[in-house]
Amino acid sequence: MPLLKIDDLEIEVKNGTTVLEAALENGIDIPYYCYHPALEIVGSCRMCLVQVEGMPKLQVSCNTFVGEVPPERKVDGNFDMVVQTQNDLVIQERKNILEFLLLNHPLDCPVCDQAGECYLQDYSFKFGNAHSRFDEDKRVRPNEYLGSQIVINHNRCILCSRCTRFTREISGTSELFVDERGYSSKIAALEDRPLNNLLAGNVADICPVGALLSTDYVHKNRIWNLQKKSSVCQDCSVGCNIDAFYQKRKIFRLNPRENQDVNGYFMCDIGRYGFHRFEDLERVTRPLFKSNGIFSEISWDTAIEKIGDKFNGAEEKVAGVLSPFHTNETNFMLGRFIKGIIGTFPHIEDEEITYPSGFRISSDRSPNKRGMHDVCPSIVDDLASEINDKEIRVIYILDNEIDKEIDETWNKILTKMDFIVVQAYAMTRLAKSAHLILPGLAPFEREGTITNDQGRVQWLRSVLPNNGESRPDWEILNLLYKTGERFSDINELMKGMGEQFPSYSGMTFFKLGDQGLPLNGNLKT
Amino acid sequence: MNTMATPQEKFIFANPDKVDRIFSQYPDKKSATLSLLHLAQAQEGYISGSVIDTIADLVECHPAIVMDCVSFYSMFFTKPQGRHKIQVCQTLSCSVNGADALVDHVTNKFSIKPGETTDDRRFTLMKVECLGSCGTAPVVQINNDYHEGLTNERFNELLESLP
Amino acid sequence: MNAFKPVLTEHIHQKDCHTLPFYKSVGGYKALEKVLAMQPDAVIQEVKESNLRGRGGAGFSTGVKWGFIPKDSDQPKYLINNADESEPGTFKDRLLMNKTPHQMLEGMIIASYAINCNTAFIYIRGEFYKEYQLLKKTLAEAYQANLLGQGIFGSDYNLEVVIHRGAGAYICGEETGLIESLEGKRGWPRIKPPFPAIEGYLHCPTVVNNVETLACLPHIINHGADWFKSIGSEKGPGPRLFCVSGTVNNPGVFEEPMGISLKELIFDRAGGIPENKQLKAVFPGGSSSAILTAEEALDVKMDFEDLVEKKSMLGSAGVIVMDETVDMVQACLNIARFYAHESCGQCTPCREGTAWLVKMLTRIVNGQGKPDDIDMLYEITDNIGGRIDFSKGSFGKTICPFGEAVAWPVRSFVEKFENEFRSYIQQVEAVA
Repeated sequence: MPLLKIDDLEIEVKNGTTVLEAALENGIDIPYYCYHPALEIVGSCRMCLVQVEGMPKLQVSCNTFVGEVPPERKVDGNFDMVVQTQNDLVIQERKNILEFLLLNHPLDCPVCDQAGECYLQDYSFKFGNAHSRFDEDKRVRPNEYLGSQIVINHNRCILCSRCTRFTREISGTSELFVDERGYSSKIAALEDRPLNNLLAGNVADICPVGALLSTDYVHKNRIWNLQKKSSVCQDCSVGCNIDAFYQKRKIFRLNPRENQDVNGYFMCDIGRYGFHRFEDLERVTRPLFKSNGIFSEISWDTAIEKIGDKFNGAEEKVAGVLSPFHTNETNFMLGRFIKGIIGTFPHIEDEEITYPSGFRISSDRSPNKRGMHDVCPSIVDDLASEINDKEIRVIYILDNEIDKEIDETWNKILTKMDFIVVQAYAMTRLAKSAHLILPGLAPFEREGTITNDQGRVQWLRSVLPNNGESRPDWEILNLLYKTGERFSDINELMKGMGEQFPSYSGMTFFKLGDQGLPLNGNLKT
Repeated sequence: MNTMATPQEKFIFANPDKVDRIFSQYPDKKSATLSLLHLAQAQEGYISGSVIDTIADLVECHPAIVMDCVSFYSMFFTKPQGRHKIQVCQTLSCSVNGADALVDHVTNKFSIKPGETTDDRRFTLMKVECLGSCGTAPVVQINNDYHEGLTNERFNELLESLP
Repeated sequence: MNAFKPVLTEHIHQKDCHTLPFYKSVGGYKALEKVLAMQPDAVIQEVKESNLRGRGGAGFSTGVKWGFIPKDSDQPKYLINNADESEPGTFKDRLLMNKTPHQMLEGMIIASYAINCNTAFIYIRGEFYKEYQLLKKTLAEAYQANLLGQGIFGSDYNLEVVIHRGAGAYICGEETGLIESLEGKRGWPRIKPPFPAIEGYLHCPTVVNNVETLACLPHIINHGADWFKSIGSEKGPGPRLFCVSGTVNNPGVFEEPMGISLKELIFDRAGGIPENKQLKAVFPGGSSSAILTAEEALDVKMDFEDLVEKKSMLGSAGVIVMDETVDMVQACLNIARFYAHESCGQCTPCREGTAWLVKMLTRIVNGQGKPDDIDMLYEITDNIGGRIDFSKGSFGKTICPFGEAVAWPVRSFVEKFENEFRSYIQQVEAVA
């Protein structure tokens, strides 16, 4: 393997690694803008220039490949390449390039969304001049909408072309292009073909400055006010890894988190903006019991007692409706509790979309159908028919998405029921049909594990705190057992789940970490 | 947003044989883009939104990529021009040989500044960069033709002769 | 010095010199016949031996460039004739295309044969419309006479030649910018590696040669590498077309051996300066070279080495003469504006730097210059392109040599005529 010396560090790298990749992997901070690991190398920002011994010209480290050289060409008889990233020459060049980039850049950090997470700010602070020597008229252009979700502030754009390359290489939709040339260059989209594909939100992420902004988030908050939690998107069975940014009880935005085994570097707009639909719901925060058509609050103890009576009394003539929108732990608990039959509501398939880069949006818009089937193997194919055949009149339902219309068949079934328990977080149509509502958690409050359609188990971490008296869904189901038979905590539950289902054996949150693990025995140590 | 003239009717090449011949010359479709743009501009006078759509279909790429190409080159116009594009070279050799006087002549005579078109759409005046004939400076290109070594008098005669 | 017998432009004053019958009557296409009986490698070797260096501006050894084409690759190879003549002060390729297109074509076929290419392109600048029409006829003549197409001269070598028109972009004369343009995209130069000889047009091995370079090839084949080397300076020999324009009595293209003195070119061939005015400054190699003062110009030979020694370059051999009536600050602005207009905009120093230079120079010309401006002009040019003394690490700031092409001339104006710049600025101070 070639031996590379960067500054004082001597490292072995794989043949064909670029100097920039080697530096970043080893904690050496070479600044860059146009480089992105998912995109083709263009070497146009010139920020990553370094001095390579033996080469008269400065080289862009993003396009300088390290390879083995014949012994007589090794530097100091030893190294295949020697690179300086911090000497006076390189530092001065960085200052100069930054000065050029800031020529037309407005000094509007105070009002720019990117402030606090801006590469231009960071590098200026680290490498730049204290003030610009540009004394001429700046080039000023008004902002423009490139699509319904993305607005561009041309004055901040540094023409790194990441956005245009994204639309060509990743989404394959090519909406963005560079208009004109030279100093007049600007990013544009055709008026009748705006940037409206489902990966559009990613261009605001990859923009290194505050030029491309998400209209959903613009001017709403500041990065330093927000806390970040790593979690997993729940809007389809791909299970993209995300970072959720929140302040107190409100999520402000979701960004993709890198996971090379799931979503690469990106996420789709369905998941990215999907958190909004949980914002203004009428929440259910206390157990409710319907009497004479009106819901009134009851205590947890009363609720649990009522359920115990009805379910024990009905013995095996009970049904449980699991949900692919709930975690493995929750589904496992319900499946265990129900002595009768378990199944699901009809599953609706949506469009499956695959992009040229391989990024996929699954046709299954629920996050955990695979996991649900894994930990509840006795799910019947046609629950509605079985309920009718077996004349079941007692049913326990986990809420399924929000406020969907209940279809004809199920409407009829529900009207015939003697006792319906719905575990929900919002007063949906389904919840309204119940006799007893138990307040569970909304998707961003849940904690547990979910399994994507590739068989990867991931740690779904809660982002927001519980509301009122709502409890974690698995905990509610836990209460249905006698005291002595309950799991003491979720880790115990996982152990129990693993004992029953070998492919989940040995699973802990710690082991899953923030990248998850594939099934097939990898969960065992 | 990029402001193009909104496409109205679909643009169709008047001479499909020429289009076929262009495609037959290149190993791949995309390479035919510039030649097709020249052909379309010769037919329409400028590159309209419908031209871009038609060419994008033919070379099998997104219209934005064709627009990316069009907007780069100074010979492609995205708005209609005058009947005669008067392109006066302003680079050094022509500049020291009287190019400015030629530009002023057009401005004084037809009341248009560089970049403007006469009301009757007869002339558009443009200042362009080196036309590659510095030995016969000053040089003016009118549409496709070079007019070299112009004096003010000959330039005037030339302009008056144009319909 | 004895009058040099022109080689490339020997017949340009004769009637119908552009036609195939005429070209054949003066020995045209004999070189091609000879080449088709040689091995391609032998052709490359001969051209290497001749020390022919590119006449487009970069001056790279043609034979060595051909040698970079991988022999073991089964990808198609491409030869591109760079007829995108856009360097200010240069107009020789236009002459060759108008008067001896077959000479250029013969050179193209020879080059294509040497690198095993079966499809070659002529990338001609869009503005050269008349030349484009003429080249179409030239190709038709060649096809009809079986000098192109299948089985040339009865051999088993095939070659198709395609004319591709550019559309007004100086940067498309840069080889990777040209290749991008040929592929139907905007002419943004590519980063290297990969090099065009390995991955060029459509990711295939590609060679780009200038019109005049190709025109030399039939003569090298006919008379041999040694003959070529004997003309002019040995390290960069051969007949060369020098363009002289600007403030001279007799502007035009003059074919001379490499190494002719600049003084002779200006005052003898180009008839000196009108009204006997004094020489002030000269661009020796197109506007991308550093200017020479009158004193420097009168003491230099027009070849690669001597000009580098004088801290300039031969480039495209486009000599632009400026006499005492030419204001250096205005001339500097004129050139800076050319580069700002032609900058492709892809990389930071060039895109922002050229515009900054124009804004600053415009301000100075309009009487609003500040004392700091002079130092800033030095700094900005240094930050865009490399120093002409090739000082270590000063190069590589831009993707392509456009950075040097704007930095060298602009800096040289300020360096050599600093007093003129200062006088513009002092006028402001005097007024204030």
